[in-house]
Amino acid sequence: MTCAEFQRELPEYMEEGGNAELQAHLKSCSDCSGLVTSLETIVREARELQASEEPSPRVWNSIEIILRQEKLIREPAPSGRRSILPSLRQRWGAMAWLVPTAAALLVGAGIALYQQRPNGGRMAKTTTPAAATTVANGDASDEQLLQEVSVRAPLMRAAYESNLRDVNNYIRDAQDSVNANPNDEEAQQALMDAYGQKSMIYEMALDRSLP
Amino acid sequence: MQRSQYATALTVVVLVMLATLAIAETKKEYRFDVGAKSKVSIINQFGGVSVKPSPGNFVLVSATTYSDKVEVDQSQSGNRVDVQSHLLAGANAENSRVDYEVLVPADASVSLESATGPLRAERLHGDVEAEGANAAVDVRDMSGSHVHVKTMAGPITLTNIRDGHVEIDSVSGDVTLNSVTGPLVRVSSTSGRIQYNGDFGHAGEYRFNSHSGNIDATIPEDASVDVKAQSVRGLVQNDVPLQPKVHTSFLVKEGSSFAGTINKAASSVWLRTFSGKIHLKKR
Repeated sequence: MTCAEFQRELPEYMEEGGNAELQAHLKSCSDCSGLVTSLETIVREARELQASEEPSPRVWNSIEIILRQEKLIREPAPSGRRSILPSLRQRWGAMAWLVPTAAALLVGAGIALYQQRPNGGRMAKTTTPAAATTVANGDASDEQLLQEVSVRAPLMRAAYESNLRDVNNYIRDAQDSVNANPNDEEAQQALMDAYGQKSMIYEMALDRSLP
Repeated sequence: MQRSQYATALTVVVLVMLATLAIAETKKEYRFDVGAKSKVSIINQFGGVSVKPSPGNFVLVSATTYSDKVEVDQSQSGNRVDVQSHLLAGANAENSRVDYEVLVPADASVSLESATGPLRAERLHGDVEAEGANAAVDVRDMSGSHVHVKTMAGPITLTNIRDGHVEIDSVSGDVTLNSVTGPLVRVSSTSGRIQYNGDFGHAGEYRFNSHSGNIDATIPEDASVDVKAQSVRGLVQNDVPLQPKVHTSFLVKEGSSFAGTINKAASSVWLRTFSGKIHLKKR
């Protein structure tokens, strides 16, 4: 059985466990077994999300770790702290980078949305500069992304680094512009564009364009 | 005598090298019969993809590989054709290049990916998506298509795109649009240069945004546009006689912004950058 044939039968496998031939292929093929493991993880996570409207405590925990790394939470870090990457990678596989990126984007989007609320502007003015400065100067996720690119495609690291730096400057300027004119829709649009550009860099580093 | 021996040795070496290359270079063709409005996806890690219209309802993929470290996976599911370069153990950017030449029905939608490119598509009227970090992208002679292009550093050139729904995102690649018109033409860039040469069509919305890249637009006298331009820290220049606008969403300031209309102002044009220069020129 080939991988393509297995993947055609994948829905049946996920629902009913599959026949002996599917099982045999799964044992012999690391690609397909990896795919099945990822799908099973997604199904399991989806069930957990469905069970509660609140995100899992693990999500908050991940965000908290990222905020600590960003020094947005001034709490003494435990000694010998390890990178969040290994645990995220175990759970999310190649998509591990999405978690810190999603967190950063959520923070940005949350700020932008909050500023659009009638009473949100004042609070946003006091909370955004710290976050903006951290993101604009690059963050731990950027460094981890670059390390990953260095491993997978060393020749492309310089390009990713340079583009990330430019995009972080874009985000900083756009955020400053929003701070100066909270009701300026064009400034808000520019901030969204800037985050969109950063998101694109992460997507390209994550996707199959890299070997 | 010594020179003659040297020449012979050199000839042998060159012949051996050519023979090795010939053995390593393998070209394979795959043909798929499809119906109307088929969907063709080519995912390549390293190497180019060129797509042109086929004379019938079939997809013909010609793939050239240069080593045994990469193979071509292909499948068809009804009207959908998927082709993908599959890297094998020991593959790297040098030995896993694949060059694709693809013929598709003119109404097919195509999705192209390659980190290095180049990616080319021409003379189609189905949708085109092209994506690659460093890929140069060239799309031309399309009509009625959605054209969506994403690159990080690769330059993007669109030529003669009519009635298109065009969305371009590039971080540092230069973007050049020649005779590109449609209901929506959006370019978002961080540091790449954006150049537009055309008349902005009729009743379209054109938004070009950049952080530090320059934006140049060259338009004919008979263009019909409502144009706004603003650079937060850069210089803004206008060579086109505009009818000034009374109301604008921003403060018009000599040298850093302008707003006005030409003729019936059929299309809306919005040029915005933080630190780049903007120049609106008359053709």
